[in-house]
Amino acid sequence: MATQIVMDRTGDTRHNFDAKNADALLKAEERFRELTGAGFTAAVRTASGEAVVKRTFDPNAEETLFFPRLVGG
Amino acid sequence: MFRQPLRNAKERLRLFLSECGRRARVLRDSLRRQPNRIDPSLRFVPGFRYGYWEREARGLELLKEWLSPEQFAQYDAKSYFEVIGCHSGKRYRVSRGTSMNIHELDGARCPCVGWCFVPKGHLVAGDIMLAQKIALETNERGALAVANRFPVSTGRRNMLHYPAMP
Repeated sequence: MATQIVMDRTGDTRHNFDAKNADALLKAEERFRELTGAGFTAAVRTASGEAVVKRTFDPNAEETLFFPRLVGG
Repeated sequence: MFRQPLRNAKERLRLFLSECGRRARVLRDSLRRQPNRIDPSLRFVPGFRYGYWEREARGLELLKEWLSPEQFAQYDAKSYFEVIGCHSGKRYRVSRGTSMNIHELDGARCPCVGWCFVPKGHLVAGDIMLAQKIALETNERGALAVANRFPVSTGRRNMLHYPAMP
């Protein structure tokens, strides 16, 4: 089961989906596009635990984290 | 001639700072005892108040999942963790907080410049720190381009250290 984690005011919202299911994958890809289009940054973790930013949807990613656009504080 | 008044002023300042520290500790302890306490800056965000602690805890859990083992150990012990900028190789300290919580460290690992950038929206501390960590580790220049700099007080010199103008 793969997960897309979206940071929001509730802490985070998790969308779990079966990466082997074509429909679920399509929906996840759509969500990815919507969020990145809205300014969110998508990041995944490599096997070594390092974070890597993704510009395109990675169907093999087990966990993708989305955080909103950064602004000066 | 001025030695004695200077000494007196120094002593008064020491007492004043000591009293400030004591009051801050009292305030912190009293706030900890209030379970429904919320960050005053978030008080007027609709729907934010309820379940504040649950959201905080979830944010911290997520942060801990994404920290490296070294960062996790450091955060667990000191409430901050250090990250290395992907472009400059500089070291940054991300402290627990929601703003003005990033300090660039010099060669002696002392804070020399403060940086402030946060993800847009009202997020909890754990989420903010995680976004800051990923941003510095994957797109340091981009993060610092939007960030605001602020001076930090250095213990070594006991004076404000102002960053150079860009």
